[in-house]
Amino acid sequence: SGELHCSLPNPRNVHFESLNMKNVLHWSAPEGIGDGVLYRVKYSVYGVGKWIRKPECRNINRTWCDLSSETSDYEEQYYASVKAFLNGMCSDWMETTRFNPLTDTKIDPPMVSVSSTEKSISIILTAPEKWKRSPEGESISLLQVYPGLQYNVSVLNKKTRKRWFFSISNNTLVVPWLEPGTAYCVSAQIYVTTPLLHSGFSKEYCIATLKDKTA
Amino acid sequence: SVTEIRSGFAAIRGNIQSRDPIRTLSILSYPHSLHKVKSSDRCCITHHLFNFYVDKVFKHCKTEDSYVNRKISSIANSFLSVKRKLGQCHEQNKCMCGQESAEKFKQVLANYEGLNVTSAAMKSLGELDILLDWMEKSP
Repeated sequence: SGELHCSLPNPRNVHFESLNMKNVLHWSAPEGIGDGVLYRVKYSVYGVGKWIRKPECRNINRTWCDLSSETSDYEEQYYASVKAFLNGMCSDWMETTRFNPLTDTKIDPPMVSVSSTEKSISIILTAPEKWKRSPEGESISLLQVYPGLQYNVSVLNKKTRKRWFFSISNNTLVVPWLEPGTAYCVSAQIYVTTPLLHSGFSKEYCIATLKDKTA
Repeated sequence: SVTEIRSGFAAIRGNIQSRDPIRTLSILSYPHSLHKVKSSDRCCITHHLFNFYVDKVFKHCKTEDSYVNRKISSIANSFLSVKRKLGQCHEQNKCMCGQESAEKFKQVLANYEGLNVTSAAMKSLGELDILLDWMEKSP
């Protein structure tokens, strides 16, 4: 369609929000504009010459657009752009900064499972999966994406309030020499050294060591 | 070290990349991404690229922002120390250069010389994360 007269205020704060490489473009409506604004979205691979329209985000009234599929190759970098339309008028195309899925994504905490004996607890950690197109799609752990991925683990003795911290590269940890019949709470965080990324800490998973049978 | 380069670049990445208006060209990943390089050629290409950044790029990356300039020079210093280590590998023949790496590096130089030197240098600097991501990828 021929370009209309573009004097509409521009969409604002056009940026990617990414979690486990689910990459969603977000923006704010143009300043001072009421309802009825529609948007179009396009994206490009950095270094490649053309902009590609996103049909599912053509003439939408929401202020986000999921570009996970289009930006799933994390060895590439991307730009995206948004244009607003209202009553035959339009805004300029407003672009993101250069988006690098590998360094710009946020990471969920690991899943934590715990079991116990009389004097120890065993902890198994599972890194989240990279976003995938469909549930049947191939599962790729973030461990495969970030070879330098490590875990920080916190273990709290609920009785004495004493806390230990461990930093481990593999995904299992056995904490020995604990008190029988005592509750311990475990929380874990993912930590990538390069590029520098870290998740928040998971919620706490509490478990009690078994009672001492000989007591 | 590479971690210092990574954190130095992260601090100025937005500033540097915003000075590069050319979306349709890449110095390092056009027409073929670094990620297509055979693992046997990685050391040689890394060696070439570190020389490229030290010899051709950093000296043309002056900005009006003293903070950015300081970060650029600390990145350049880190490059120098890594470059020295890579030079030792090269001298001990542990960094063999095949046909593909020669072709790849020739393409990088062609991309670089296709722009005026300041734009080419600033674009190359803005692509440091492409280099670092590739270097840190498991082979």
